[in-house]
Amino acid sequence: MKALQIPAVLIALIVLAAVPWFGSDVLVQFGINALLLAVLAQGWNIIGGYTGYASFGNSVFYGLGSYGVGIAMVQWELPFAVGLAFGVVLSVAFAILLGIPVLRLKGHYFAIATLALAQVMTAIVSNVKIAGQNIGLVLPPLNNDLLFYELALGLLVVATLTIYWLSRSRFGFGLIAIRENEEGAAVMGVNTTLYKVLAFALSGVFSALAGGIHAYWVTFIDPESAFDISLNVKMIIMAVFGGPGTVFGPIIGALSLSAISEFLSSEITSIAGLFFGVVVVAAVVLMPRGLADMLRRFRTTGWRYFAENIKATRL
Amino acid sequence: MSAVSAERKEPLLQVSGLSAGYGGMPVLHDVAIEIFPAEIVALVGSNGAGKTTLLRALSRVLAGNGKIVLDRKDLMPLTPDQAFQTGLVQVPEGRQLFDRMTVQDNLLMGAFRRNDKAAVARDLEKMYALFPRMAERRRQLAGSMSGGEQQMCAMARGLMAAPLLLMIDEMSLGLAPIIAEQLMDVLAEIRKEGVTVLLVEQDIHLALSGADRGYVMETGRIVHSGLAKDLIDDPEVQRAYLGL
Repeated sequence: MKALQIPAVLIALIVLAAVPWFGSDVLVQFGINALLLAVLAQGWNIIGGYTGYASFGNSVFYGLGSYGVGIAMVQWELPFAVGLAFGVVLSVAFAILLGIPVLRLKGHYFAIATLALAQVMTAIVSNVKIAGQNIGLVLPPLNNDLLFYELALGLLVVATLTIYWLSRSRFGFGLIAIRENEEGAAVMGVNTTLYKVLAFALSGVFSALAGGIHAYWVTFIDPESAFDISLNVKMIIMAVFGGPGTVFGPIIGALSLSAISEFLSSEITSIAGLFFGVVVVAAVVLMPRGLADMLRRFRTTGWRYFAENIKATRL
Repeated sequence: MSAVSAERKEPLLQVSGLSAGYGGMPVLHDVAIEIFPAEIVALVGSNGAGKTTLLRALSRVLAGNGKIVLDRKDLMPLTPDQAFQTGLVQVPEGRQLFDRMTVQDNLLMGAFRRNDKAAVARDLEKMYALFPRMAERRRQLAGSMSGGEQQMCAMARGLMAAPLLLMIDEMSLGLAPIIAEQLMDVLAEIRKEGVTVLLVEQDIHLALSGADRGYVMETGRIVHSGLAKDLIDDPEVQRAYLGL
């Protein structure tokens, strides 16, 4: 099983990388969206999945990444790469400045505080002149979906490698310890504040890069869409659906849910949202630990896996 | 291994004039204690006497004034994780295990700050020899064990940090007396390895029966100290502790 994993991942990667050469334009555009969502889910995985802090503030990083590219390219006429770097710097600064106070909160309180951050950022950016106030910014168009696709895929690979490293490193072990028992981790000499802020910042780096690529791709950003809280909800659903705190779970979750959502909205347009909601509810009830856990356990427990989860949730 | 011979050596932990409290409310008043290498020292007192507060001040979680010196290093300016690095390790009240991690991962978590892989592997085997129960359950989730086993796991985890001084808060809390006695025997084993123990207990008889020396706390002050075997029969201690 383990020996097959590496070739399987490589083949999947080659197939994904080849999509623009054999797929239609529609598929490539769907792919760009799905891959960026997978990056966001992986980013959330670091702070939410591994560290156990359910962040609703990751859409702020996404927005800062978008505006980093927007401001650099439109206002300062700098290249795209500089814009990406600028967005990352903004995100890391934000993660450190606001992470230190906000990461002192736990559970629901942390979730609500970060939820407020996205709202506040919308209001602030709507009044900043260099960010185009509430009108937004129009970026110079670049009609090259191939480039955006491969860029998104490359970013997903980097994010996944980072999480793979996290899952085997001392740093990652410390984060898991914080998730499992923060007081216990502190007693065993983990500098919990430092670790949490670093995880928040790392999570922000990937969200910002995804936001930056997305901004250049769609060539338009405004405060409402850049700091959209529903995007944050999406990344949480995808990460949790796939399996939070696992290396590949969030990717599987993001790609499969994107596909289901796309299929539903093209086949049964009027009630697609309802179906999507049903899928999510069913997933939470039947496999609360995500697809990755289900695939691992299904072989030994069979259909009992679902029955046990239903019992555990006491329906 | 009598306390008398130990007293000729330099103390491992020296605390003097320590006061601390919560938000302007003083709890500890001018506390002074000394612990010598390879000693088991009991800190006893009733509920609310300030025992846990003293531990929190020692491990630098709680700010305060005074002097704390461990192994010739001044702990006062250090952060909790720096104090931990100097060898001051706590087994917290309520154990604070990683319930959904295996026993082995819990123990390895104790060695989180250590870089000497070979020595960590050796210590892990030592722990399994010291606590055979943990060896049987190394693949089991820590949260699924009994209270006594969890306390063993917490103590083993603390020892995995290779402490100079192991501070155990309320070791017997919620445990059957026979289990608590067994844990006291383990402390004697640990001491043979050269680890010094500060045992904080409400169960005065249990703590003093296994310790070399004891300190009695009352309302944030050290009110009695001496050899454990003397304290155990001291009517003054009984009076102070029971509040008669």
